[in-house]
Amino acid sequence: MSPPERGALVVVGGGVAGATAALTISRHGLPVTLVDEQPQAGGQIFRAPTPHARRQVPPNHEFSDGDRLRALLAASRVETRPATRVWGVSPRMELDVLGPDGIDQLPARALVVANGATERLLPFPGWTDPRVIGLAGASILLRNAGTLPGRRVVVAGAGPLLFSVAHQVMEPGGHVVAVIDAGRRGDWLRLGATLMRDPARLRMAAQWMTRLRLAGIPIHHQTHIAAVHAAPHGLSVAVAKTGRPGVAYQYDDVDAVACGHGLKPTTLLTRTLGARHRFDSAGGYWEPETDSSGRTSRAGLYATGDAAGIRGAAVARLRGLITGHAVALDQGAITARDFARLTRRPRMLLRRLDHVSRTMLPLLNASAPLFRAIPDDAIVCRCERVRAATLRETAATGARDLNQIKAWTRCGMGPCQGRMCEDGARGVLAASCDLPPEEAGSFTPRTPFFPLPLAALTGTFAYSDIPLPKAAPL
Amino acid sequence: MTMKPAWPDAPVDVAVIGGGVMGATAALFLARGGMRVALLDRQDLFRSASGVNAGTLTLHMTRAQLIPHAMRGREMWLTSREWLGTDVGALATPGLSLAFTEGEEALLRERARVRQQAGAPIEIVPPARAIAIEPGLNPSIRAAAYCALDGHIPAYRVGRAYARALAGAGVSLFEHCAVTAIHPSGNGYDISCAEQARPLAARRVVLAAGVWLEKMLGWFGHTIPIRCLINQLVVTETMPQVMGSVVSIANGLLSLKQFANGSVLIGGGWQGEGNIHDGGTRVIPENLRGNVRLAQHVIPRLSQAQILRVWLGLESETPDAMPLIGALTPRDDAFVIGCAHSGFTSGPYMGRLLAERILGGTPDLSAFDPHRFSPSSTPEPSP
Ligand SMILES: Cc1cc2nc3c(=O)[nH]c(=O)nc-3n(C[C@H](O)[C@H](O)[C@H](O)COP(=O)(O)OP(=O)(O)OC[C@H]3O[C@@H](n4cnc5c(N)ncnc54)[C@H](O)[C@@H]3O)c2cc1C
Ligand SMILES: Cc1cc2nc3c(=O)[nH]c(=O)nc-3n(C[C@H](O)[C@H](O)[C@H](O)COP(=O)(O)OP(=O)(O)OC[C@H]3O[C@@H](n4cnc5c(N)ncnc54)[C@H](O)[C@@H]3O)c2cc1C
Repeated sequence: MSPPERGALVVVGGGVAGATAALTISRHGLPVTLVDEQPQAGGQIFRAPTPHARRQVPPNHEFSDGDRLRALLAASRVETRPATRVWGVSPRMELDVLGPDGIDQLPARALVVANGATERLLPFPGWTDPRVIGLAGASILLRNAGTLPGRRVVVAGAGPLLFSVAHQVMEPGGHVVAVIDAGRRGDWLRLGATLMRDPARLRMAAQWMTRLRLAGIPIHHQTHIAAVHAAPHGLSVAVAKTGRPGVAYQYDDVDAVACGHGLKPTTLLTRTLGARHRFDSAGGYWEPETDSSGRTSRAGLYATGDAAGIRGAAVARLRGLITGHAVALDQGAITARDFARLTRRPRMLLRRLDHVSRTMLPLLNASAPLFRAIPDDAIVCRCERVRAATLRETAATGARDLNQIKAWTRCGMGPCQGRMCEDGARGVLAASCDLPPEEAGSFTPRTPFFPLPLAALTGTFAYSDIPLPKAAPL
Repeated sequence: MTMKPAWPDAPVDVAVIGGGVMGATAALFLARGGMRVALLDRQDLFRSASGVNAGTLTLHMTRAQLIPHAMRGREMWLTSREWLGTDVGALATPGLSLAFTEGEEALLRERARVRQQAGAPIEIVPPARAIAIEPGLNPSIRAAAYCALDGHIPAYRVGRAYARALAGAGVSLFEHCAVTAIHPSGNGYDISCAEQARPLAARRVVLAAGVWLEKMLGWFGHTIPIRCLINQLVVTETMPQVMGSVVSIANGLLSLKQFANGSVLIGGGWQGEGNIHDGGTRVIPENLRGNVRLAQHVIPRLSQAQILRVWLGLESETPDAMPLIGALTPRDDAFVIGCAHSGFTSGPYMGRLLAERILGGTPDLSAFDPHRFSPSSTPEPSP
């Protein structure tokens, strides 16, 4: 379908990628609207901290870079629509939004999807305890609200986020009981070599590791949480060596568990709009197919930042910049020569950083042995309380696709639309049929993408305000 | 996913095109009547109107002339175990239709009167009585029409029940099989499908393609404009009980009920935008807001609800808003069924009537004769 003639230039997501794209489009003299569900721009890494957090957390470059981004936006002609959530989109790229004034529709002539990433969680018995939280959620609590999830925290999962969050727990005086890492020690050593090409990230990683080592915090590689139990004095966390039976370590009196197995692009919008997607086997996720400027297979639709594949903040900024220029080019605001000139340097830098980020992807990607280790009685879908055993039985009777699993078992049918369980369900299904995970597909997105409070739609009204249609035929 | 039977070599007695409630019920009773039946759908069974509708089994909203069919259809849903083999979870409840203004009260009385005459046990009751039946109601109502025979059914559960019943009756079911052309042959019709190299030979054909009927009717020389309604439905997350009946309003544009699991379904035929050819639909924000405002006005506690899903389903309507059921050809070997108002309620009964007609019975289908739209063509001789 061709893009609509009318409508605005819209960027969804005010993280570093979307904000940079919007600023770039605006600098070329084009009116642009930036929609973000948060009250202030910044996204995951540059999220605006509360005043309390500014007092609690030592000054850091995430706060200062975020403040700079927000100041640039405030001084620009970008029309921001904060606290506005996109909950659907029509085939003609009309965005359904819910904002402070209720629901509205925003037709887009060009749409830049910069809605970032979704965290992947692996189920284990006990993960439904409210004291078990995601790494991204923990980071928001720590960095942006200035609150510890608890004094004694176990950090578990995979990838560099583990060490980032462990470090963030220690900053305001929390105690990291242990770091439970699915990756191998050797993977990290190899990554260290690659990081030589990205000195900024290398420095940061070295700083985190030094702090953890100095504090004597146990770091267990090739392990995963076998189960979490609620005990009288807190949680007790059983840790297993991956691929081996039994409990290798046990930690008691834990206040909170922060865990996550990496990130995946948030593809609700690009999938609903029918853009082509590909499975990135290194990352273990679906991403929209894009050209080197963020154009998807659908005219007028772009994906940028982590929404186009997980690469971290520095790459997200560069991608946002290039996509912004590309929108200006496609809208006729600049020439192809301008575009080439403006993007030459960012592209060079991007190539180098992108290589480093890609090397990290496998570290974030849970492997089949981890999914086989999920016990039968573990709840995979929290909304509908579907257990691993049910998924395995369904796989044994012939289900091969996540949407079949959904229809047959209700897994993924609840209020979270499978945001929490999709990766767990796909992994369990693929591991029990020995299939490549991409064959299981993904849950078809439904509208609204998130539950909408009915009262936010209705607002205050009188009966006579309701535009009653004419009566049905007798 | 169902196991695919082999594409038949020998002609079948009847090919039914469209596996919604109309086509699937006709196929079921034709097979039970002894015919060799093939049922073709371009998707899985019950994925169109019949799988996404509101599942209200009401006499308040049906066209008055269809009350007898709706009453029989409702009865069939409530006893589905007996004829379908599975209890699909239909629930009998009271039904209320409400008036908030003087104008609505007049309309309510008029609609109730016409429906009473058609045999629906509907009576006008004062507000206190309505609130006794449904304590969750907004007390500012002026009057209500009460019907003891109402109810609902979770439509999404019906497809699997039909799949089992059809298999049990020996119907050959071909899903993901889109019919692209039908040509007369010496002994019936050759039916071409996008997914099959060779056409299917059938002695008779039944068109039951819902909103997509118009083009197929054209293949048989019938020009009947079929209007496509794009009905909006809203379902909430499960919540504590806020209501126990089916509630509508005088002008017919609300249907509201709470299912056993606690989710509330808000419908009534508010329109979205869409296109039957590419299937794309769009919510019209004013209509979404209007529909949920009306629901919250009627049951104020819905202000606590979280909206879980909004969708748009396609419903078909003829120029006179009455169904098409009957023969299309003088040879009496091609038939149509569809476009019934509140067609999910009456569908099982209407499908059975058409099967009866094809098997040689003489049910009265005169009001639904497709020839009423083509005065020039010779009326079909009655069998
Ligand atoms: C715990 C944690 C630690 C990390 N540490 C680092 C690190 O040390 N170094 C590093 O380089 N990277 C790190 N990252 C990754 C980094 O956060 C991302 O790479 C970066 O934020 C990507 O930027 P983005 O603009 O693409 O997306 P995001 O920053 O995620 O921004 C997306 C924006 O879209 C908005 N949005 C999403 N959906 C909707 C919707 N439906 N409607 C409206 N708005 C919507 C969100 O509110 C958000 O503001 C970390 C991530 C996590 C979770
Ligand atoms: C949102 C909504 C709410 C409703 N609420 C109610 C209610 O509460 N109560 C009530 O009684 N009624 C309700 N209705 C009406 C009711 O759903 C319909 O009248 C009824 O389901 C129609 O059934 P059908 O079999 O004629 O059509 P459908 O169910 O639409 O079936 C037609 C079938 O034909 C197939 N088909 C189309 N073209 C081809 C082709 N070329 N080849 C092969 N197959 C083809 C389609 O895939 C489809 O499965 C509602 C309708 C909608 C849309």
